[in-house]
Formats: sequence, C-alpha cells, structure tokens
Amino acid sequence: MPEAHLPEQFRDLEQWMAWSLETEVERSDHRQASAMEDITAFYEAMLARTEEVLSYLEQFNLEDLPDDARRLFYLTLSLAEVAPAVEQFGQPSVVDGYDIKRFVSSNR
Amino acid sequence: MSATPNGTLANGNGAASGYKWHKKYPHLGTGTVPADVFTSQEQFELERERIFKKVWLNVGRVERIPNPGDYFVQDLAVCNTSVIVVRGKDGAVRAFHNMCSHRGNKIAWNQGGTCQNFTCKFHGWSYGLDGKLKFVPDEESFFDLKKETLGMTPVAVGVWEGFIFINVDPNPTETLQEYLGDLATGLEGYPFGEFSTTGTSWTSEVNANWKVIKDAFQEVYHIAFLHKRSIPDSFTSKDNPYAHSLDVTLYPRHGSMSLFGSADYKPSPVAKLAAQHGEIVIRSDFSMDGLPAGVNPLRSEAWSLDLNVIFPAFFVDVSQGSYFTHQFMPIGVDKTLWTSTQYYTKATTPGRRFSQEYGNVIFRDIIMEDGRTFEETQSMLLSGAKKEFYLHDEEILVRHSHHVIDQMIKGQPVDRAFAANGGEAAAHA
Repeated sequence: MPEAHLPEQFRDLEQWMAWSLETEVERSDHRQASAMEDITAFYEAMLARTEEVLSYLEQFNLEDLPDDARRLFYLTLSLAEVAPAVEQFGQPSVVDGYDIKRFVSSNR
Repeated sequence: MSATPNGTLANGNGAASGYKWHKKYPHLGTGTVPADVFTSQEQFELERERIFKKVWLNVGRVERIPNPGDYFVQDLAVCNTSVIVVRGKDGAVRAFHNMCSHRGNKIAWNQGGTCQNFTCKFHGWSYGLDGKLKFVPDEESFFDLKKETLGMTPVAVGVWEGFIFINVDPNPTETLQEYLGDLATGLEGYPFGEFSTTGTSWTSEVNANWKVIKDAFQEVYHIAFLHKRSIPDSFTSKDNPYAHSLDVTLYPRHGSMSLFGSADYKPSPVAKLAAQHGEIVIRSDFSMDGLPAGVNPLRSEAWSLDLNVIFPAFFVDVSQGSYFTHQFMPIGVDKTLWTSTQYYTKATTPGRRFSQEYGNVIFRDIIMEDGRTFEETQSMLLSGAKKEFYLHDEEILVRHSHHVIDQMIKGQPVDRAFAANGGEAAAHA
C-alpha cells in the first residue's frame, strides 16, 4: 500500500498501521476491540520510539503535517489511548468502569 | 490503613484532621443525609420548581457560537423546556424558549447550526435572530394578529468568562454576576478563553439522580479506593493517605475545594513522555504567575487542582494549564444527562497535542471509574434498606449542597451570614 507509508526512518512501525487512527472514538474502539497482548506489543514498540517520533514531528506545525507524518502522529495518539490499559488496568477497558459505549465523545 | 502515631489521620498540611471543615462551617452540623432525597418524585418536583426554574444554569460556552446567526439548542427537561441560544447580528448572545407562538410547536429540532431566521416547520412562521416574529404565511387570513407581540419568548441570559448561563425565571431575582458572587470574582482572569478553543466532551444519559452524580464529584475521600488503579499516588501520599484537601471555601450556594497534589507522584512511562511535551495535571514545576487569587488560594506547593461547584449542577475545576467542567442536567428523578469537558490551550505542535491527548484519555478513564458508581448506587437506593447516609468531614461540599437544596425546596432563605464572616461560627452567633 504505497499510499499508507510512514516517513522513511519509521518504516519499521508500519506493522502497527491499524493503530493510525484519526479520532479518539476510533482509537478507543480499537483499544476496546484488541487483545491485551496486541495492545501491549503496540505499547512497547511505540514507547521505545515515541521520543524519536515526536522530535521528528516537531519540525512540522500541527496544522500542516505531511500525510506520512500525520499517519505517524496518529500512532502517538494511540499510544496515549492504550497507556492506561497497560499501565493502570491490565486489560483493555477501565476496571469496574462505566460502559464506554454509553460515554459519547465529541472527538469523533 | 495508614494513620499517624497518635491515631488521627494526617491531612495535606501534616496536621491532625480535627474536624477542620466542620469547625470552619459549624452551621452545617454533623447530621446525615436522608436516602429518599435521591429517589423521591415529590422532592424532584420541588427541586424543579424552586431550584432549576429559579437559578442560573450553565448551557455552554461562547466559542460554540462565534458568529452572528450561530445557535445551539439546549433541551432542559428539568425546566420543562428547550432553549435556543443564538448570537445576534449585533453580536449579543440571546436565548429563547424553542417554541412557536402559533400553536406551540418546537421550532429547532436539531442541536444547532447557523441561520438567518428560525422558521417553524409546522406552518412556516419565521423569527429573526432577535426573536421577533418576521413572517407569517397567509397572514391576511388570521384575525387581529399583533406580530410585534408574538416573538419567541425570551429567556434571561448572562455570560461570565465566556460561560453562557440562562435563567428560565421570567423575572430573575438576581443577575448572573450576583448569583455567582465571590466565587466568580476569585476566578476572573483565569485563561478560560485561551483554553476553550479546544475542548473534548464526553456525555451520557445516566440512570441516576443528579445529586448522586454531583456528590461523587464533590469529594475526594473516594480517590484512594475507587481510583486506586488510575491515580494511586497523585492525590494521596504517605502523610496524606486519604487525600485531605488543602482548603475549603463555601459561599451561600456554591463551594470550592482546593486539592492536595503529591510531590511523591511517580509518573508512568507515558505520563512522563506527556509531561515533557505539554500539560498534565500533577506536576512539581507549576507556576502560579498570572493566575487569579481564587486558584490555589493558599498558594500551596502541594497543590493539584481546585473544585469549583457552581450551584446547582455545574463544576469548573481548574488547574495549571488546563481546566475541566462537569454538568449534570436532570431529566427525571432517576435520569440525568452527564457531560464532562476537558479544556486545554490550542496545541500547535504535535508533541503538545500528544500530551493533551494523554490528558484527555486519563481524564476520561478516571471519570469512567466515577461513572460506574452512579447507577450502582441508584440501583440500591429504592431498596429502602438504608434510611440515611453518613458524611465525612472532607465531604463538606456534599453536606453543604444538601443543606442548600433542603433550604431552597422548603422555601427558606439560604444561609448567608457564614460566608460574609469567612465561615466562622455563623450558627452560634
């Protein structure tokens, strides 16, 4: 899929493209639908690279990220999305939490 | 269980608790809250008539309607109405009952938009942005229609720091400024406008009484337990294991609580990354420069954020670098529209946006922990097994809230003397 590449030096992260999602709702849905081992694998891969990714992205203004950089940026937002699942809950959903399907986000 | 050697719990300042807030506000007493205030239809109808139809209610922010003709619709089941809030050609924000003068149809059926006129879908009666009736199809076939008296019915509207409030009382007994009083004065100058260009909201229709939800957000006694996974060490510490607050200020109806933040907080790997690139709530390097006196009123270095509870059901909780709001709009005695919104300054860099997204996710997941208690509590209230509930000294805002509601539904004037003299022993005067 030539149209869905990441910037050259981050091509190794292309295996995680399913997490390159624009909205909070998409990212949250993906978190909720994923197995914990997949979430953890993505988390570990991204955590190792996010400082480097953000340094790379700092050359751009948020409003005009090139397409490949934007796809990469969305991966960092998915890292934010899965962080509590890995770091706090040990499961995709909030432990003993309110039903997220009934908690409607404006970021859709 | 953690306790200091003498057996008393430590608070945020390291001093023994000693019923600190009860001593500051003794007029509230130490009694219990009757269980039926959360389930009684009769109580709810009194709250509707004597509170929600009489006071100023937040319905949104000005950023939602930046230009003339921009409007939004706020359904207010608790006030038995729906309100259109619109920015006029003159730039002023106005509000109207969303109802046609012809035969009562609801005019706007959507949630908002931009328009030149409001036209009723039923028979095409058309109103200007100022609410005046402009056009009646086949007007000649009506009898003595006085169009100038048949505009949309206005609703009182006020704007404070960009927050839009309405009051459905046809003759409000006080202005918005008077209503908000000293709580508002203390917060003026906080960069609400700068932060409010980007807000993320979460909303849900909850099967619980509005006070069940409100009360959960106006105390932090629950943090060490309900939030033990999400924020195990942000608001508690070895010396303050139960998140005792730094300060409490009560107003005649509103209340504020300044919350402890732990210097021992250990950020997770992603929290650390986020903090390097932008705002997170708990941090040790915050600056109070330029923040108004009502924010972190003690100027404590062990501060996290302040709860500001605007009666009856709107919270403006401020920190450094971000603020969030909660709104609980009753639909019925056991049904409430819950909306929470997190605000940050507009991010221009990817790193800052990443940091804010982390803040949003953490906030959302934390309040989902709170959210679970609402229906679980409501589901047990009708059992009748418990007649009353017991409040901790740190649950003073809950105590105050129930006290004010009780006075208002009984038609009594709310206590004011305690607020005028800084909270000292008004009841014993």
